[in-house]
Amino acid sequence: MVLPGDEGTAPSAPTRKKGLGGLGRYILIRFLLIIPTVFILVTMVFFLMRVTGDPITAAMGGRLTPAQLAERIAAAGYDRPLPVQYVEYLGQLLTGNFGTTLSDNRPVTEVLATYGAATLELVFFSVIVALVVGIPLGMVAAKFRDRWPDAFLRIAAILFYATPVFFAGLLLKLVFSVWLDWLPTNGRLTISNQLALDGLQAPTGIYFLDALRSGNMAALGDVLEHAALPALALGLLTGGVFLRLVRTNMIGTLGREFVEAGRSRGVSEYRLTTRHAFRPALIPIITVMGMQIAMMMGGAVLTETTFEWKGLGFQLAEYLAARDFVAVQGIVVILAVIVAVTNFLVDIVAALIDPRVRY
Amino acid sequence: MATIRRRLSAAIALGGVAALALTACTGPAPSGEDSEGGSGEGGASSAPIVYGTTDKVTSIDPAGSYDNGSFMLMNQVYPLLLNSAPGSAEVEPDLAETAEFTSPNEYTVTLPEGLTWANGNTLDSADVKHTFDRQLEIADPNGPSSLLGNLESVEAPDTTTVVFTLKEGDDQTFPQVLSSPVGPIVDDETFPADELLPDEDIVAAEAFHGQYSIDSYEKNQLVNLVPFDGYQGLLGAPKNSQASIKYYADSNNLKLDIQQGNIDVAARALTPTDVEDLSGDDNVVVHEGPGGELRYMVFNFNIMPFGAETDEADEEKSLAVRQAMADLLDREALSEQVYKGTYTPAYGFIPKEFEGATEPLKEKYGDGEGGPDQDRAAERLEAAGVETPVALNLQYNPDHYGPSSGEEYALVKQHLEANDLFTVNLQSTEWVTYQQDRIDSYPVYQLGWYPDYSDADNYLSPFFAIENFLSNGYVNEEVDQLIAEQRVTPDEAERSEKLGQIQDIVGEELSTLPLLQGAQVAVSSPDVAGVEDTLDASFKFRLGAVSKEG
Repeated sequence: MVLPGDEGTAPSAPTRKKGLGGLGRYILIRFLLIIPTVFILVTMVFFLMRVTGDPITAAMGGRLTPAQLAERIAAAGYDRPLPVQYVEYLGQLLTGNFGTTLSDNRPVTEVLATYGAATLELVFFSVIVALVVGIPLGMVAAKFRDRWPDAFLRIAAILFYATPVFFAGLLLKLVFSVWLDWLPTNGRLTISNQLALDGLQAPTGIYFLDALRSGNMAALGDVLEHAALPALALGLLTGGVFLRLVRTNMIGTLGREFVEAGRSRGVSEYRLTTRHAFRPALIPIITVMGMQIAMMMGGAVLTETTFEWKGLGFQLAEYLAARDFVAVQGIVVILAVIVAVTNFLVDIVAALIDPRVRY
Repeated sequence: MATIRRRLSAAIALGGVAALALTACTGPAPSGEDSEGGSGEGGASSAPIVYGTTDKVTSIDPAGSYDNGSFMLMNQVYPLLLNSAPGSAEVEPDLAETAEFTSPNEYTVTLPEGLTWANGNTLDSADVKHTFDRQLEIADPNGPSSLLGNLESVEAPDTTTVVFTLKEGDDQTFPQVLSSPVGPIVDDETFPADELLPDEDIVAAEAFHGQYSIDSYEKNQLVNLVPFDGYQGLLGAPKNSQASIKYYADSNNLKLDIQQGNIDVAARALTPTDVEDLSGDDNVVVHEGPGGELRYMVFNFNIMPFGAETDEADEEKSLAVRQAMADLLDREALSEQVYKGTYTPAYGFIPKEFEGATEPLKEKYGDGEGGPDQDRAAERLEAAGVETPVALNLQYNPDHYGPSSGEEYALVKQHLEANDLFTVNLQSTEWVTYQQDRIDSYPVYQLGWYPDYSDADNYLSPFFAIENFLSNGYVNEEVDQLIAEQRVTPDEAERSEKLGQIQDIVGEELSTLPLLQGAQVAVSSPDVAGVEDTLDASFKFRLGAVSKEG
């Protein structure tokens, strides 16, 4: 029997290397690449933020004389040479000190923990939406290739990923919240449930988990109600990409010899589609998922703002407006690390699934 | 590996289906469920209330913030020596038992005995001294310490007496300063003397002594307040059993939530269009009160047309340009067409509700009744020998002064260009750049002002004293002298006269051109009472004044 993944041109046998094997070397290189990626981002953000103004002027510029303003800027140390500030910042970063936000006096680690939990929850629900929408519909489109369900789903996929996420969000809100009054317009929870979950011992800030942990089913339902529209707005974007990918790959695999062989042996069409053709089609999705996580982080800024989902993206936009160097740098570092690590993990998974990747 | 992948796929799919199924089953929350509040203990007469706002909290350490959002919350949970009761902007003793000038340079406050903080610590004169000493010591860049410019020192001779020594005697604004963002008293056993305390530490320490204490705190998301029985001050016990503050980023979401009954009161800040829309909605009540915000155009005397540093510098022509612009502007149109009545025409430099406010611009310019007069503007320019049209670069800012600024200044341009006396080049700039460039790059620009405290002086000193924050080249020693005098004139009638003189002079010289005065607008559910009581000229929203049928 030909197994999925074994088909096609077999790669020539890799030459064994001494010391680290192919996979080990691959993992090490991919891991080391995280460092310059994050470093470049941190450096760019550091200098770009300072070019565009300082937090003291942003907060107090409308009330103080130029002399008072200059005095406060000097007191905060923003008049020092940029290289000095940069080296100081890198030093802090290396010791794990992300600093305290300038505009609202909060440890950046606390900001990351508080708002990161919200973003994580949103991305989790969005990935579910993307998978639930993209994979089955992609399979259906492939199965009905060039017939009307396929045409309809291809158009839908284009709409999903071509529609700006904020527009999709506003549209969903208008229809399901304002007109139909089925779902909440904004926020992550109703106030009573939010107060109840915040009052738990050591809450995670991921309300879905906190509600499950406390056995508060009313709050769990409330969480899902509030998450539905933001997750749809953000998830459909990626769902459209998945749909196209699954369709294309499924069409490719449905025409392969091993599928024909299965068919000739009497394997049911359902089984051929869902098992034999689907598995190989999943590999590119896993690879693309890494990139989509980065895309979702970008989309989260707009989704979170539209739905008052107070996560990292939302807060990043707020701190950018306030020219809060410390906060923006901290959030960007974390986002960069998340994206880089996610891609790293996806690369490893891809390398494990398909040995050709690592050579 | 294949087995693991299969299980993973199944788990993801099941999770997704379960999540969607649960979402579909749960249905919408009943209207008003949001406002049920949480688990705090109530002790007052009515149901919990939920207040929504787009303001933000910078810090609840009084030394670390100088903004409306932070002060609004501080005003509920910290004691002020002097404060104003709902319905009034007049300051009177709140935490203090008495407060008065005991000599020109000494302002003495006495406290009642036996006060404690919510955490049980003693509240006495040492806390008051600690509060003001640390404000001056920390002088945080985001803080309000600049309001204490006239404070020399603070002494606490005994546990109930505090003596403020002032640099300049008889400062009539000092009682107002004590009721301003620099005034919340803090617990000396909780707040360090030389650095800010993070909000979470303040909440954990229960260092409160206001109408409320903070029960739970998610910064700029949700704050829950419960009444504090130990507060015995001016404001009395709250009229609700607890109050929650929900923070919004988008005024549209604030509007939707008040419409759908998810919150009880929405204030600061709904857009003019939202307010107009809500005015026709039977599910809500729109309340309006006096507002302290003024919106101006500011002239840079150096680089405006015929300014002192321009090639064609001419003081007389420069004045004629400013005055002709004052003739041409139609404030009623700005108020109605752009702001739907949420801002009203301003013809003076001090809001109408303040003692000593006059309207010099009404008579001096336009048709003499507040309307525009294009002929008068043309005559004025011709008499000064100004060639028309005058080219004018006019700057405004939409991200700090609100998105309606674009509409406002489009209409201003239309007014100025109505009879070809001006050609206006309208430009908008993002806030941080705007603040950096306004000082020496903008000939004429938009400015908004919200008072630090409710006193006429706060609309004059920052603008027209020689050391002013505009730095626009306007210098008038007579005005500077009058400003200094009114500040130390205890007699109200005499002080009003001086305020009138100042407004008359600056009305003639037009360093700034006031356009609009903002009204305070709050929207509530019909079953909510007391909102109108707190929309007064103190510009303090007191949650304790609001009640709701339970």
